[in-house]
Amino acid sequence: MVMNATLSVDARGLTQRLGRTTILNGVDLQISGGVFGLLGPNGAGKTTLLRTFATVLSPASGDLRLLGYDPRRGAERTAIRRRLGYLPQHLGYYPGFTVFEFVEYFALLKEMPSAEIRPAVARAIERVGLADRAKAKLKTLSGGMLRRVGIAQAIVNDPDLLLLDEPTAGLDPEQRVLFRALLREIGQTGTVIISTHLIEDVAAACNRVALLDGGRIVFRGTPDDLSSFAEGGVGDSALERGYTRVLTGARG
Amino acid sequence: MSDHVPPDVDFGRVWAEVAGEIWSPPTGAGERGLAWLLGSPAFARVIVTTPSLVVSWLLASVVVLGVGVVVTAQTGEPWIALLAPVLAGVGIAFAYGPGVDPAWELSRSMAISERTVLLSRVVAVFAVNALLGLLASFVVGDALTLTLHWLVPMAMLSALGLAAASASGSAPVGAAAVVLGWALIVLGGSVSLGGMAAVQDARLMPIYSALAVVLASVALALSNRKVTGW
Repeated sequence: MVMNATLSVDARGLTQRLGRTTILNGVDLQISGGVFGLLGPNGAGKTTLLRTFATVLSPASGDLRLLGYDPRRGAERTAIRRRLGYLPQHLGYYPGFTVFEFVEYFALLKEMPSAEIRPAVARAIERVGLADRAKAKLKTLSGGMLRRVGIAQAIVNDPDLLLLDEPTAGLDPEQRVLFRALLREIGQTGTVIISTHLIEDVAAACNRVALLDGGRIVFRGTPDDLSSFAEGGVGDSALERGYTRVLTGARG
Repeated sequence: MSDHVPPDVDFGRVWAEVAGEIWSPPTGAGERGLAWLLGSPAFARVIVTTPSLVVSWLLASVVVLGVGVVVTAQTGEPWIALLAPVLAGVGIAFAYGPGVDPAWELSRSMAISERTVLLSRVVAVFAVNALLGLLASFVVGDALTLTLHWLVPMAMLSALGLAAASASGSAPVGAAAVVLGWALIVLGGSVSLGGMAAVQDARLMPIYSALAVVLASVALALSNRKVTGW
């Protein structure tokens, strides 16, 4: 199978299993540049797919290239990880660390050059609007602030591939608006993949979208393409109606 | 204002440099020393974030060994040799992994591999526990002889803790394997050899050494597949 080296993500027949349960079932997805939204109901496989793209999980079967590299090879996996940003669904943190220390820790683990780390950490913290809390201990922060700390560590290395799992969970409306602007900005130079339940995030920030159900991709296209399926669907917006209509159709 | 500013000054960069210096907390002496010793601030931070090397854990270890020193001095029984290997084995089981390290999920997507993180922490935990055991032995008396008696079992139980925690993906399982394994050996030795002979009998050291090598090999193989997942 010929993989496309110019794509940020090139997945062919990707399968993941947990015991006897198939979580991802032959996922084909090619993503290059911009902000890509992964939609789907709970248990659809969105988090597993993002964890696979983040090189946290190795695929049970199928082919995967990330930023043109094969993650099965150790040296190439390291090369991917240096250019990767990842925000997991549940961010674990060291309560005694300051915001700066936490982001700096992951800059160190990403093997950023020493001289670049402190300015890069400062920029990342400023970009997520936490400049006034840079010296605060993580245990003193609200849930929304912790989410922004997680985003800061993900973008500290100016990643070419940024993977965000439910990034806007816990953010207030004003923060979400700022965050979408940040996504669009990053999407101009790299590839951002966000997994979300929030249709309005997709409508505002994503230029491509895929809908995952039961471990399969049941739709891929632009948000406008998804909205075009609105007739007969349920929801407050055309995008929501398109989402429910496509899901209903996929389930027969 | 702009008349006084050279056109090639990047204010954003200057601000980031200054903010980075102001916001960065002073690095502790221990971490600075480790960074110098290892030649890597990254490895130093990896080690100081080890769950089983936090201050509370170290204090608990010191207390346990302190009790061992007192009891050894009073009874003449090898309590330090009994306790020091268990402390190291349990500490290694709790050095890294899901449910132990809060940032475990994120660590798995980092350029410095989880296997490197794990092995760095294993070496650090073993070194710290060996140092604490050495100090305890020094307080009791003949440090060299006493140390030789527990160092080999410590290596064996450390390898057992690492192998069991890696195989199960669970630090408590690794710790339980260490405690149970050592209890079985000591109790078995008590029946066949009497007293705490199994803890420091020189005839058993080759067996402990061989077990340490086998278990360490198993742990390394597991860390390549079970820990990294690739």
